[in-house]
Amino acid sequence: MLTAGKAVKVSIYVSEGSTHHGMSIYASILDFLFFRGVSGATVLKGVAGFGADHHIHSANFVEISDHLPLKIEFIETREKVDELLGKLEEMVGSGMIELHETTVAKPAQLSKPKNVPAPGHVKIEGKAKMMRIYIGESDRWLDKPLHESLLRAMRANDLAGATVYRGILGYGAHRRIHKEKPLHLSHDCSIMLSVVDTEEKLKAFLPLVDKMVQEGLVVLSDVDIIKYTHRAQEISEAGSEP
Amino acid sequence: MKEQFQARMLRIHFTEADKWQGEVLYKAIVAKCMELGIGGATVFRGVAGFGASARMYHARTLSISKNAPVMVTVIDTEEQIQKLIPHLDQMIAGGLIASSTVQAIRYSRSAEDSH
Repeated sequence: MLTAGKAVKVSIYVSEGSTHHGMSIYASILDFLFFRGVSGATVLKGVAGFGADHHIHSANFVEISDHLPLKIEFIETREKVDELLGKLEEMVGSGMIELHETTVAKPAQLSKPKNVPAPGHVKIEGKAKMMRIYIGESDRWLDKPLHESLLRAMRANDLAGATVYRGILGYGAHRRIHKEKPLHLSHDCSIMLSVVDTEEKLKAFLPLVDKMVQEGLVVLSDVDIIKYTHRAQEISEAGSEP
Repeated sequence: MKEQFQARMLRIHFTEADKWQGEVLYKAIVAKCMELGIGGATVFRGVAGFGASARMYHARTLSISKNAPVMVTVIDTEEQIQKLIPHLDQMIAGGLIASSTVQAIRYSRSAEDSH
């Protein structure tokens, strides 16, 4: 991880069309930097330029030139750069590599902190509780649908996970039938939220349920958790937010 | 108002196509629960499933299939649920009833603003 202070900026100049083992050079280099743990890299596309062969390459013509200059830039510590330089020199072929002493004033930060699991999302297994909350679809809490508010409250309280179900038919304390209508014109169905977590977590959440649910039914039952896992946060997620 | 009590929860699984005396079974069960004064019942439709009375089912857009799995949840005190069970025995030809003990908390508005 790059920190503030002395660092080296590496600029690599290649031609867009040139290849390395059948793959375009910039893509190979980017992959190499990525999987070798470089903090970040950018590929810039030039609009015109010339290099060692003294031909001017430009995008003036309608034809798509694949000889435009590309510049790949990354900033890393001196040790890291020294470690990667040998392989990079081999990869760039006829291209050029420039090193530039620089100072990092503020290192980039992850938009989502990695490897720091949210405090509540710990492994749970064995005995746990399932809480089901029965409410109406039209119930509201502070002008928002109650089931959405409950779900957000659960998320904010780091409960392990929750699912909202819409009933197609039902009745409750008022003996009024709540029915599904075609084309989902009705917003008066029965709603059930189901959430599984440890007894303490759910008990700690109950006062909030008390406050939010004016009318409804909450049931708690014992369950055995067989499996609760979440996908490991992979490196490949870091730069590829859709 | 808030009241806490020990309750029994039934989850009755069958399909949307099942009938009881010409009526859709899940509607008949909800009607029976009401008749017996059971606290509440909710019907859920599954998006996929299989079981004793249903071959593999998948919800598809614009599907006209009526063979979706459904689940009816009924929660009330032990005595109330015991009143319901003989009726279910008669009504359900193919399906499954799962029963569990639950801790229930009922929230209700005061009597005057009920409708």
